[in-house]
Amino acid sequence: MTETSDTLQVEFRNVTKLYGAVAAVKELSLGVRRGEFLTILGPSGSGKTTALMLLAGFVAPSSGDIIISGKSVASVPSYHRDQGIVFQNYALFPHLSVRRNLEFPLEMRGMEASERATRVARMLERVHLKEFGDRMPSQLSGGQQQRVALARALIADSPILLLDEPLGALDRNLREQMQGEIKSLHCEFSKTTICVTHDQEEALTLSDRIVVMRAGEIEQIDTPEALYDRPTTRFVASFLGEANFLTDREFKIESDARTSDAMPMIRPERIRIIPPNGRLQADNGEHQFASGTIASMIYAGPLRKYEVRVGSTVVIIREHVAAGQQIFRPGDEVQLEWLRSDIRFVAS
Amino acid sequence: MNELRKIWRVPLGLTIPAFAILLVVFGVPAIQLFLISTNAPSFSITNYHAFFEQPGNILILLQTIKVSVVTTFICLIIGYPTAYLIVNASKTASAALIVLVFIPWLTSGLVRTYAWTVILGDRGLINNVLIGIGIISTPLSLLYNRLAVYIGMVHIVLPIMILPLVSVMYGIDKSLVAAARSMGARPVLAFWRVFFPLSLPAVRSGTLLVFVVCLGFYITPQALGGLSDAMLSNFIAAQLTNSLDFGPIAAEAFILLLIAIIMLSLFGLDLSGTQSQPDSVRKSEYGWASALRTLRRQVGEFVVPLRARRWPKQLYQPVHSGRSWNTLAAIFVILVMMFLLFPGLIVIVMSFSAGAFLEFPPSGFSLKWYRSFFGDSSWTGAFWNSLQIGVMVTVLSTVTGTLAAFGLTRTSSRIRRVLMLIILTPITFPTIVVGVACYLGLVNLGLIGTKIGVVLAHSIGAIAYVVVIVAATLSNFDQRLEQAAKSMRAGPIRTFVRVTLPLIRPGIIGGAVFAFISSFDEVVVTSLVSGFSLRTLPLKMLENMNQQIDPTIAAVGALLVLMPVLWIVALYLTLWRSRRAHEAGLPLAGLADRAEVPSSAAGQRQ
Ligand SMILES: Nc1ncnc2c1ncn2[C@@H]1O[C@H](COP(=O)(O)OP(=O)(O)O)[C@@H](O)[C@H]1O
Ligand SMILES: [Mg+2]
Repeated sequence: MTETSDTLQVEFRNVTKLYGAVAAVKELSLGVRRGEFLTILGPSGSGKTTALMLLAGFVAPSSGDIIISGKSVASVPSYHRDQGIVFQNYALFPHLSVRRNLEFPLEMRGMEASERATRVARMLERVHLKEFGDRMPSQLSGGQQQRVALARALIADSPILLLDEPLGALDRNLREQMQGEIKSLHCEFSKTTICVTHDQEEALTLSDRIVVMRAGEIEQIDTPEALYDRPTTRFVASFLGEANFLTDREFKIESDARTSDAMPMIRPERIRIIPPNGRLQADNGEHQFASGTIASMIYAGPLRKYEVRVGSTVVIIREHVAAGQQIFRPGDEVQLEWLRSDIRFVAS
Repeated sequence: MNELRKIWRVPLGLTIPAFAILLVVFGVPAIQLFLISTNAPSFSITNYHAFFEQPGNILILLQTIKVSVVTTFICLIIGYPTAYLIVNASKTASAALIVLVFIPWLTSGLVRTYAWTVILGDRGLINNVLIGIGIISTPLSLLYNRLAVYIGMVHIVLPIMILPLVSVMYGIDKSLVAAARSMGARPVLAFWRVFFPLSLPAVRSGTLLVFVVCLGFYITPQALGGLSDAMLSNFIAAQLTNSLDFGPIAAEAFILLLIAIIMLSLFGLDLSGTQSQPDSVRKSEYGWASALRTLRRQVGEFVVPLRARRWPKQLYQPVHSGRSWNTLAAIFVILVMMFLLFPGLIVIVMSFSAGAFLEFPPSGFSLKWYRSFFGDSSWTGAFWNSLQIGVMVTVLSTVTGTLAAFGLTRTSSRIRRVLMLIILTPITFPTIVVGVACYLGLVNLGLIGTKIGVVLAHSIGAIAYVVVIVAATLSNFDQRLEQAAKSMRAGPIRTFVRVTLPLIRPGIIGGAVFAFISSFDEVVVTSLVSGFSLRTLPLKMLENMNQQIDPTIAAVGALLVLMPVLWIVALYLTLWRSRRAHEAGLPLAGLADRAEVPSSAAGQRQ
């Protein structure tokens, strides 16, 4: 890649953060482009929050350097970094009204009272909270608090926006709605946004690129599509979506692309179930087959999920429900069919 | 009989025993006292008039207020930064520091006052050291003056300031300060604009409690001050022993009480111990500080242009945090802890002295003062009296207090608030007022100078402790657990024994321990109601402290200090072992949750 510090807004250079002997973040190197929406995704304890706090200046790196806008910020305190942060529990000041909360960052930058008022009014309107300026945070619903937190992080026009599990506290419906809101705010303000989450759906929906972290280290960085379609490791494959790993004993997948420790993997929606005698395509070498027994069938809205036993392996298959489709029952003998090109090889 | 059964069914029925004791020993006589002060039934204000007629009385009153204000102010100045540093210390350090603040609070105020006479006396620690290193040749007179009174009083009430501050500061979300910093507020500004306003409720309640406690101070000014440092309490107590005319005494007690009540209602102290307040209440809580807020805002506007100029220059400028500041903070905390703990330690060390006088450092190690203590039947008799009274108080107040706490947590929050306020009066009113009322109550019952009388007088305070602690535990107790048990066909009694009791047992044990300690250490009320012949250990110590200087007294003091500490250690070891005690139920945790209330209880502990 040819990324210069011109296109990079934020850069981690070999950053390590030790807590005692444990490395919460280990030799992290990562560049975030200007205006990009980057999500750090990983299971609990993988070092996501630590990475974000390093960037925010609340935690000092044990070694390595962090560059923001071309300047090393290793010993720059958080209050001299120009960032908007949405904290996990929003951290709205409970003793200040919504209006005062929004004014706070402007006041710290020395903005005059009249200009603060106009900016706050404009921002309140933007996040649909025009009538709520004089409420106290405790008098708002979860979704409204979330929007105040976003507004407060955006209002000072800082070039960088940090989100720590921004939707973690919301229920499912609200979460989808707020995902849309965050997306549209990002398009409108085009801040360099770094978001931390353990929710893969959130990551896939919002991000330009996703960083998957595991035990303090980067496992893979890619666009959501690439990450889902071409995971490079077994961990990424199973952390994002479902994956079937095809063991050699039952499947014997051969390929030129295969290295010694690589494992063949296929996504559940890439497999088709056909009746035992219903092989439709003439085998031109593009397809592969296996035969097994239906172990279970779960009907989940527009999707149908089968578990098929092949030897000692259970293969998961997802089918979109469609008209005229044949439905299989547990115990049915079936054949599985997939395209050779849908197989991915991941490092185990 | 059936009627009686019904009463027990209603939650409020459970509070009857506790309120019966409170009313008979304290409530009715307090009203009686008021009537006497107004010369009922003729109702006149002659007694009040007579009080204010004498310039000397007004002087004492003003002095009482002044000493209380100054003490409170010093406590706030020392206590706030101490609490802040405790909360921001590492986890283990802050837990250890809280224990270190608790220990002096739990140990006898009488002994700690006595310790200061040893430290400040002519042949005391400070003078000995100064003469020893040759800075002075004749002893400085550090004792029997106003400074000594302030030192002693601050020493005794400082924990009452620190504990509520710590408990509220723990509740302040750390990410709020982080948020302020991320928006460009420097540490000092983030503290001033976010942390400080959120800690104000605790500042208010801590300040009020300390002030009211100081109003009732009695022992410390008498032991450490000169003749001119007497407070209204001393004045009242002296009259109670010398005069038979109750009118003026009653009037004086009510003047003191009135000051306390005015302060409490002016600043609206909430002692109800309810955990979740509706938003409206919370808002008004911040409302009282609106003047301060306006001021803060105006100062803020004033520096806006300055900030505007500074912001672009400082952006991305590194700051090297001062290590010296951390050192300074550590030194400060260490000094405060020494101030709190050293006097108690001195007494213990001195009790093992081999010399014939009270001196520090002691000239050798011996157990002779303990031998002298256990060889003197008047001392051992007092010790037994204290133990017996303590055990009886513990049993009586634990049972009635636990019942009352149950009743109170199951009533509507408005009734609970009022009843809680009433039941806490023995530990929130100035001590001397409680003492005078109890005296009258026991006169009514003909129990002056009897053990039963002293037990009753101690119990009203002890019940308050038990109610506070058990109610705190109960409010953390999930009532759905009881519902779950009942859904599994357990009857009310089985539910209580198998589910409720095991879960709140730590709270009850904690309440019992506090009840015992409060009785074992009590001296002010005791000195008023014990008549001529009955002597408890602290009371005899107080008398000997005034009369003679004999190291036996140090042995007594050491016993008084060590007993409660041993109790607490024993308590924690048992609780630690039965880890089942879910954390919220630990008495210390319960206290920390709402230190505002039990530390009001500390009122009596001077
Ligand atoms: N203040 C701290 N002290 C000690 N260990 C910590 C601290 N913060 C985080 N850790 C450790 O660092 C690792 C990563 O934590 P974190 O960054 O919070 O992970 P995540 O946010 O991905 O769940 C964890 O193992 C955690 O225990
Ligand atoms: Mg986290």
